[in-house]
Amino acid sequence: MSYVELHCHSAYSFLDGASLPEELVVRAAELGYPALALTDHDGVYGSLEFAHAAKAVGLKSITGAEVTLADGSHVTLLVETPRGYANLCRLITAAHAQERLNPRLDPTFLTERNDGLVCLAGCARHGLAVRDPNAAARLARAFGRDRFFVELQRPYSRGDARRNAALRDLAAELGVRTIATGDAHAHHPRRAHLQDVLVAVKHKVPLEACEEERRGNEESVLLAPREAAARFPDDLDAVQATVDLAERLEFDLTQELGYRYPDFSDRADPADIQLARVCDRAFRERYRNGSTALRTRAAERLREELALIAELGLSGFFLLHWEVLELARDVSLEVRGPGSPRHLLPPGRGRGSSVGSIVCFLTGLSHVDPVAAGLALGRFLNRELVAVPDIDLDFPRDIREKLIVAVIEKYGPEHTALVASFSTYHSRGAIRDVGKALGLPPGELERLARLTEGNPRRVAEEIEHLPGAEVKLRSPRWRALGELAAEIGGLPRHLSQHPGGMVISTRPLIELVPVEPAAMEGRRTCQWDKDSCADAGFLKIDLLGLGMLSAVEECVDQIVSLRGETIDLSRIPLNDQAVFAEIQDADTVGLFQIESRAQMQSLLRTRPENLDDLTVQVALVRPGPIQGKAVHPYVERRQRIREDPNYVVPHDHPLLAECLAETLGAIIFQEQVLEVSMALAGFSVGEAEGLRRAMSRKRSADAIESYRERFYAGAAANGVDRAIAELVFSKINGFASFGFPKSHAAAFALLAYQSAWLRHYYPAEFLCALLNAQPMGFYPPASLVRDAQRRGVEVLPPDVNTSAGKCRIEGDAVRVGLGYIKGLGEDAAKAFVAERERAGRFRTVIELAQRSPLDRRALEALVASGACDSFGWPRRQLLWRLGLAPRSTSVGAQGAERQLALPLEPTSEIPELPEQTPWEKMLADYRTTSLSVGVHPLDLLRPHLPAEVVTSLDLADLEDKTPVAIAGLVVARQRPATANGVVFLLLEDEHGQVNLVVPPTVYERYRGLVRGEPLLLARGRFERYERNRNVLVEEFTTLGPLARQAANEAEVVAALPTAHHFGHR
Amino acid sequence: MVAHPRDQGDSRAARRLNEPRPAQVEAATGIPAAVGGVAVASVREEWRVADRWWTEEPVRRRYFDLVLETGENVAVFYDLEQERWFRQKA
Repeated sequence: MSYVELHCHSAYSFLDGASLPEELVVRAAELGYPALALTDHDGVYGSLEFAHAAKAVGLKSITGAEVTLADGSHVTLLVETPRGYANLCRLITAAHAQERLNPRLDPTFLTERNDGLVCLAGCARHGLAVRDPNAAARLARAFGRDRFFVELQRPYSRGDARRNAALRDLAAELGVRTIATGDAHAHHPRRAHLQDVLVAVKHKVPLEACEEERRGNEESVLLAPREAAARFPDDLDAVQATVDLAERLEFDLTQELGYRYPDFSDRADPADIQLARVCDRAFRERYRNGSTALRTRAAERLREELALIAELGLSGFFLLHWEVLELARDVSLEVRGPGSPRHLLPPGRGRGSSVGSIVCFLTGLSHVDPVAAGLALGRFLNRELVAVPDIDLDFPRDIREKLIVAVIEKYGPEHTALVASFSTYHSRGAIRDVGKALGLPPGELERLARLTEGNPRRVAEEIEHLPGAEVKLRSPRWRALGELAAEIGGLPRHLSQHPGGMVISTRPLIELVPVEPAAMEGRRTCQWDKDSCADAGFLKIDLLGLGMLSAVEECVDQIVSLRGETIDLSRIPLNDQAVFAEIQDADTVGLFQIESRAQMQSLLRTRPENLDDLTVQVALVRPGPIQGKAVHPYVERRQRIREDPNYVVPHDHPLLAECLAETLGAIIFQEQVLEVSMALAGFSVGEAEGLRRAMSRKRSADAIESYRERFYAGAAANGVDRAIAELVFSKINGFASFGFPKSHAAAFALLAYQSAWLRHYYPAEFLCALLNAQPMGFYPPASLVRDAQRRGVEVLPPDVNTSAGKCRIEGDAVRVGLGYIKGLGEDAAKAFVAERERAGRFRTVIELAQRSPLDRRALEALVASGACDSFGWPRRQLLWRLGLAPRSTSVGAQGAERQLALPLEPTSEIPELPEQTPWEKMLADYRTTSLSVGVHPLDLLRPHLPAEVVTSLDLADLEDKTPVAIAGLVVARQRPATANGVVFLLLEDEHGQVNLVVPPTVYERYRGLVRGEPLLLARGRFERYERNRNVLVEEFTTLGPLARQAANEAEVVAALPTAHHFGHR
Repeated sequence: MVAHPRDQGDSRAARRLNEPRPAQVEAATGIPAAVGGVAVASVREEWRVADRWWTEEPVRRRYFDLVLETGENVAVFYDLEQERWFRQKA
């Protein structure tokens, strides 16, 4: 007897389903199902993924959802027609609208909006027919006999017989058919235990405490059709009904959904004309002062590009982006205020847009005049384009927050939503959640969670390395942890929000995909992630907040207001050799994208000379090129070319010479994956895109394998050796999708260059802006300050009478803002500055105490940070005086009025207090502001260090392989996933920074020191490789005790800033 | 949950009243045909329990609610861990 499963949960039921949609599909096909429905709780999160996977294996997918009604009971809804799908989306949207994370559908909506939907009356435990037969009867009337079925389930629990007897009676009474369903929660019986664990996780209790909620046995999994049918020996009609209904449900989610982005086709003029008009207007403004020659060339270029865009049908696409940027301009006026010089700046920029496109320049997507800079259009737009270009819009953070809301308002809440992302299980979350469900000791779980390398499949091995592993491995709970961590890896845990992707639709979006409230007030997320949105053909616009953009904006703003110099970043020379000289010397602290340790090491060897080189450079130090083994060949070939201009770049195969020419035979940009598979294996554009997608997605090993064979076959047809084909495929596969598209890299390279240019010509303003844009970048603020000091920038400590809330320029120096003082807070700093502006400078600490709106602790922090040093008293005496100062007290209702204290000078004598030592001052600086503009800890520690310890300056003259000892403050620690356990430390002394390479064996031995100690003495071997200098560490000593002794027992370690950490823990 | 045969449950009275006892069950097809030599008149219901798999004493049982030819109502279960039959009062 045949059977179709019409009630099935995937992991997108969030902690109530233990398999991915793809796993269900593969298993269903294996078991011989002709069709399968996916009915997750209150959502279609996995439905498109499911439908595409099903299509690929020839299984018919049925779209549906199990919806929770207002009283908590469930009904199963299945889609019959496109209208039904739109209704399902609207219903689910309505269910989520009331209360976030607690979907409840008012059943009257269901009686009113059920066209094209089929209703099954619900599951064994929570089904509407079981819980409220009268309500079920009302729904049956609303849906009608053809579209309403009473669901029978046989989960082998006690009471099945009685319940199903009652349900049969109900069906007979209503005159509707019964239908058999399995309520599958896993694709395979081996996931049944995981399902139990998920229930425990969902209810936040150990397994023992959720017996009621668990299913009680392992029967609710996807069964073979014959087995499933055999559970209903007395209900053959209910089994037959599954087959009949499945045949009827023809709706295919992979077909056209009717999405259209607002493409301006509804206006009086065609989009092409509108875009031309927008460009013409901007053209007149941008080229008003240009030479006739420039104008002529630019006009010609614009004509060509507009014609190409019209031909590709992309005018509406560019207009939409222009419109969002215009909206951003309004928002930025509001955020920046009309008086701010920032109004001259474009409010954002397009990442992924071409710096070579004049249309991008004129619509505000790019900030470079391509004609003046002599840049070609490149491949950003060409006649072979298969999909709309990928454009992300980057904004200063303050503008982005408001812009998201403005976009929702402009296009309407029914037409816009943020793109979802699903938080999936990695090993740490798996250990914590599964371990807790299994009732394992929290301390031991935490130890394991900290130790894990991140692969859930290796947790079992990692347990073997725990103390007492032998005993643990005998315990079924620990063994289960190892097994279930592997199973849970990659499953979605909950819905979260993509960092800024928005979908805008002409047709109401809530008829295309359900939308639900996001965690942040006022924002709404659709139920599909970026992959599903892409599969649905949605145009995703990414509105991203970029710290460096905030910094660059503020920097330009400062320059305008302080020096009256207007800087048009779109017109700065892009080939400034002084700027490139710094980049080539890896003097890049604080610059965008090229400041990391790994970038610096690479820069010393690649020595970028222009924006194109920098574009490759930005894309080079990424996981894709690293795993695709592209970095070393590229760097080496660049050096060879520099040494020998006649050097011929080797290629894996002559067919690749063209597409990999600009990257010297290495695969560095995302689109090169496509180009390589087309050139070598003769893939069509669609196939190449399919391969790229397969590599970009989770758990797609099977999909990649299917492309591998095609790749080899295609390459063979092109006369390519099997060995070469295998080599190239392994490079593509290593690269996967963990790289930048070229246009993306170009936009980043430009921002990197602009940041370098600003830092070179306006170092003080640049530092000031960087400090105000924190947190961002690779270095803690303390290191940014030290680096700027080394390049001659004067940095002044915070001061109660001159500091603003933020850092600002004072003369030629940077004055640290009051906001940097810990314990003060942004609002308090603002109120403080307002009081100073209202009633003038503070002359004494007593006056400070009486006039300022700060509490005692904030006042003490002010003194301790040195912000009151200008009163002319030592900090200890100031604190003493502060202690004696009478405070004004609040009187009246709710303390609305302040009663001023009489400004009496304290009468008591100030006792003799010892002056703070330089150590104490320095430590207080770090403790209170996380940076110090004065003496470096290594300045003070140097006299106490063993004689053989050298400084970072001394390294310049050392021979390769010299044994060396070096001491410093750890500013950054990196444990890249791609470095096989090697750890990199950046050590800072009073003269500069040193790069330490810590091999895994040394790391294991000194793990505690490497991870926790701020002051280290490292001994090892100096390594000089071309222009790179590293210390290969053999042993570590902590300098904590020595520093404490030198500082006269002051608390050193706790005061110093903690290093930034990157990569694996 | 169903009490484990070896479980020292805290509800002693309940355990005394309805403690599972080993039983003689004929079930050539997997479904009981006779209990303690008395033929089964009808199987009222069958259900399954799989629990405590994370402990030293996992529970995997197939339960049957039976009416014997004598008219007596009895519940038996096959313990898949111990591979033997038990009976309880229904």
